[in-house]
Order: sequence, then C-alpha cells, then structure tokens
Amino acid sequence: MSSRSGAGLELRQLGREVGGRCLLDRLDLQVAPGECVALLGPSGCGKSTTLRLVAGLDPASGGQVLLDGVDLSGRSPGERQVAMVFQSYALYPHLSVEGNLDLGLKVRGMARRERQRRIDATLELLQLGELRQRRPAQLSGGQRQRVALARALLRQPRIVLLDEPMSNLDAQLREDLRPELRRLLCGREQPVIYVTHDQQEAVGMADRIALLDAGRLQQVGSPRELYTNPANRFVAAFLGRPAINLLTIEPGRQLGLRPEHLRLGDDGALAARLLRREWWGHQQLLWFDSQWGTLRVLTAPEAPMPQEPRLGWQRQHELWFDTESGARLAA
Amino acid sequence: MRLLVLLWSLGPLLWQLRTSLLRPEALVAPLLEGNPWTLANYQLVLSGDPPFWRYLANSTLVGLATTLLTLLLAVPCAYGLHKERGPLRWGVGLALVAAAMFPTVLLFLALLEIARSFGLANNLLTLSLPYTALSLPLAVLLLRAAFADLPGELEDAARLEGLGLGQRLRFVLLPLLGPALASTAVLVFLASWNEYAIALTWISRSDLLTLPIAIARIGGGSVFTIPYGAFAAATVLGSLPLLLLVLLAQRSIVSGLTRGAVKG
Repeated sequence: MSSRSGAGLELRQLGREVGGRCLLDRLDLQVAPGECVALLGPSGCGKSTTLRLVAGLDPASGGQVLLDGVDLSGRSPGERQVAMVFQSYALYPHLSVEGNLDLGLKVRGMARRERQRRIDATLELLQLGELRQRRPAQLSGGQRQRVALARALLRQPRIVLLDEPMSNLDAQLREDLRPELRRLLCGREQPVIYVTHDQQEAVGMADRIALLDAGRLQQVGSPRELYTNPANRFVAAFLGRPAINLLTIEPGRQLGLRPEHLRLGDDGALAARLLRREWWGHQQLLWFDSQWGTLRVLTAPEAPMPQEPRLGWQRQHELWFDTESGARLAA
Repeated sequence: MRLLVLLWSLGPLLWQLRTSLLRPEALVAPLLEGNPWTLANYQLVLSGDPPFWRYLANSTLVGLATTLLTLLLAVPCAYGLHKERGPLRWGVGLALVAAAMFPTVLLFLALLEIARSFGLANNLLTLSLPYTALSLPLAVLLLRAAFADLPGELEDAARLEGLGLGQRLRFVLLPLLGPALASTAVLVFLASWNEYAIALTWISRSDLLTLPIAIARIGGGSVFTIPYGAFAAATVLGSLPLLLLVLLAQRSIVSGLTRGAVKG
C-alpha cells in the first residue's frame, strides 16, 4: 500500500439524496493504489449507492470523487475509466463471450487486430478460451462471473468496482473464487472497492473494511481493528459470527462480550443454565440462559459441562456501549 | 377441447373460404346439397379495373410507411418515458392511455378538414400520417413496458464501457427488444391494413384505394344484389399477405406477448 499523498481514489464528503431521503451522508474514504477496500453493511446501507456515485452512474448531491488528485465529478461514466462488475454480471445476452468483450473496445474505435490481441490475452488469463463462442445463457454462474471480470479487466481500468460479485454463486464456489479474485484484482495499481454484505467475503478480500449503516460510515479500518476495537455497538454487532452478546447490566450502559471470550467453568461470575447446544465439529456453540438474558458461548467441541455451569471473562475483553446511542464508552 | 377452440377461432375464416368458392345461388341452397366449387368469384375480383393487386400494393405501401414511421417515433419516445423519473412520467403516461382509448370516429371529420386544407388527400404516404398518429400511443406504451423489462444494469454496463446513447440503443437495447419491436410492428401494420373510415374520406381516386375500401366498392350485377361471393374472395385474397406476415413473425410475437410474464 503506497501512501503517496493524493494518489489513489479519494471520496470527499460524498453524498446522495433522492426526494428528501438521504441515501449516503457525506462519506469520506480513501483507497490507495492497489488497495482493496470492502464496503460492508446491511442492504440499504448506501454501499451500492456509493459505488454508483464513484462510477458516475448516478449524480452526487454533494462532495467529490478524486482520482490521483483529479476531480472526476463532471465526467461521464465512460470517461472515468472505471470498471464495474455487477451482481447480475450484466452480460449482454445476445452476444457471445467474445462479443461481450469486444463491444466496449469496438465503440472506442480500436483497431481489429489490437482488440483481438487483448481479448485473447484476457480470455487466456481467466481460462475462458474454450467458451469464447458461447452465449451467457449457456454458461454456469461461475463462468458468467469470470466473463464479467474479463470484461472489466480488459479495458485496463484505473478504478475497479465490484458490486456483490459473488452473491449469486453458491457458498463453495465463492470460497474457491476468492483467492482467484484477489490474484486478478488486488495488488495492481488500481484502487479496488468491493461491495458486499457478507463479512467473511469482506475479510477474505479486503485490506480494509468500511462499515456503513443507514447511509453513514460507521468505521473504517483493518478487519482486526474493527473486530477488536469497534467504534460503536453496530460495528460490534455486525462483525463476528456468532454475534456478540449484548447485556444490559446497569441502566444506560450495555456490556458487549464476544462468544469466544466467555469461559465455561464452575467458578465464573455469572450463573447460567444450558438451553441448547450446536455442535459444529471444530467448535461448539452453547446457548445459556442467565439473569442478564440469553448468552452465546463458543467452546472447544469436547469441552466438559460442569454440574452447575458458570461463565467468566477477562476485563480486557469487555466492550461498553451507551444504551441509547450505541456509542462506545470507555471501560 | 383443443379442436373446439380451433373450430371456434377458425370457423368464420373457413366459412369465408367456402363462400368464396361457391356460386351465389349455392349460398342460399341447403347446406348438404352437392354444390359445385367454382373460381368464378376470384375471376370477377381479379378482372376488375384497376387490377386487384393494385389495392394490395396500396395497402402494403401505407402499412409499411405507417409501421416504419410509428416505430421511428415510438422507440425514442418510449425510451425517454422509461428514463423519466419526474412528474412528467405520470402525466404523459396517462395522456397516452387516454389517446389510445379515444374513439377514432370522433376524429375523422376533423382529419378530413386537415386533409383538405393541407392538400393531403389522395396520397398514400400522407395517409400514413393519421394512421401513425392513431397507432403511436399503443406502440409507445408497449415499447415502454419492453424497455422497463430490460435489466437496468445492462445499460449501466454499456455506459461504463463508454457507449453513447445511440450506441447503447443500437448495440444493446434494440437487439434485445427484437421480439417487442416485431410484435408492435405487426399490430401497427394490422391496424393500418384494416382501417376504413379515414381511408374512405381521404382517398377518392380509384387507383389509390386501399383494400377495405376497394372491397366495399365491389358491385353486384344490379343495385339489388350483394355479391357475397366476390366479397369473400376479395377478403381471402386480402388476408393472404397478413397470414404470411404473422407466420414469419410468429415466434417473435409470441415471445413478445408473454414478455415479462415470467422472470427469465
């Protein structure tokens, strides 16, 4: 990650409002050249809106998009040299794989031989050579996704945007494709923004994660920063599966304890009663009832269950939040 | 059951075909009596002056001009309406529906006045102007629905690849709208082919008549006879080009009519 000032992509106070409804509220975000930042959040949080603003597909109602210090605001999507992979892949259904790749180059008036050379190279890179004559309808989901990727990379874009590129694929394929995607996209010169609602994907793909909710940036940082040092209750609750336990112990304050930080024994601070057990093989998830409500606890798969189970934890793992605002409080 | 439906829809056409092949006396004879088939009605129709193919050509010309002009105007209008997000969208949409429902009969006196003052009468190409005007609302509504059925991300992808509006229409949107365009074209052509009232008032020269008017003008031996056989023969002849057209466009029409019914 280079930190040359001004290089890369910078969103400055970027906002979008439609009909009095705020979809994105003054977002500030920097993506260094070669860096992959994941925009993460629940649906409707503004992550796709952000992507469309960067691409120039929708007009911003405020703020700027800067690439290497140059404001892109007045430029049309075609002039921004942005490549985008859509959730639906958006392949042209009436054109073959080759035709899909060729159209964008053709309309820019590139010579036939140069086009062919580039298409061949990209098809080679993505191992799509044998499918070049197929129509999108004749391809599997994973193949379509690769074609969409090929189309994006072909134009040697200066920014790469991915809008939930894997959400239409099954879980196994998603895991298999992740390293390939990283190899193809990240670590080149372009900044990459990867939109997803899946935290595993965000952690697997991105150098940094920007977590959004209701059009507002909640926190941005490495996955480790967000997990261990969440800025507020939303961040703490969104990241981590099984989710963090939020306990209202005293008025006005909530205690957050991650399931893996709770220790099962017979000498803990909190008496608990076992409700349910989910056995996952490498771990087990235990559900307990206690005076502060239901608690999730992760333990080793073969952990012994005491006669009178009690739960304990270390002070350093306590995360305190304001009950009203959800803001993080000092311990 | 299938046979019944088939009979129900084909019955009148087959009856027309039968009538066209019978002598006038046989029409009132008992049904099961052996009646000799004859081509006399066809001879009568085809021996007219100007020849029958002339009317076919006239109607084809008007139909093609109308279809072409309608699509040329309807495509950009439908696209614009599809993209419009403001209050205009509702207003124009409503106005279009109202226009599509408006009874033509109330228009043709005014249209006649227009034809007279601008010298548009007795011209097949100018006849396609009111036809286009009448077909446009429905065509725009159909095509707007077709545009709305296309996934928006397709056009976004094309915009990102630097395709301008014209290029997006030409390389991406219109090829995908093929079935919708074909079914709209057939509907417009049909409407023009069958139109009677305006053609009756705008065209008076006998060599410029369109089919419906020409058929209505076929006379019998005296004012008291109605030449049913000749009417039927002319109708059959006039339907043949349509049959051909629909057969050619059949696959596109069916997929056009069911477009959007099932997410594919």
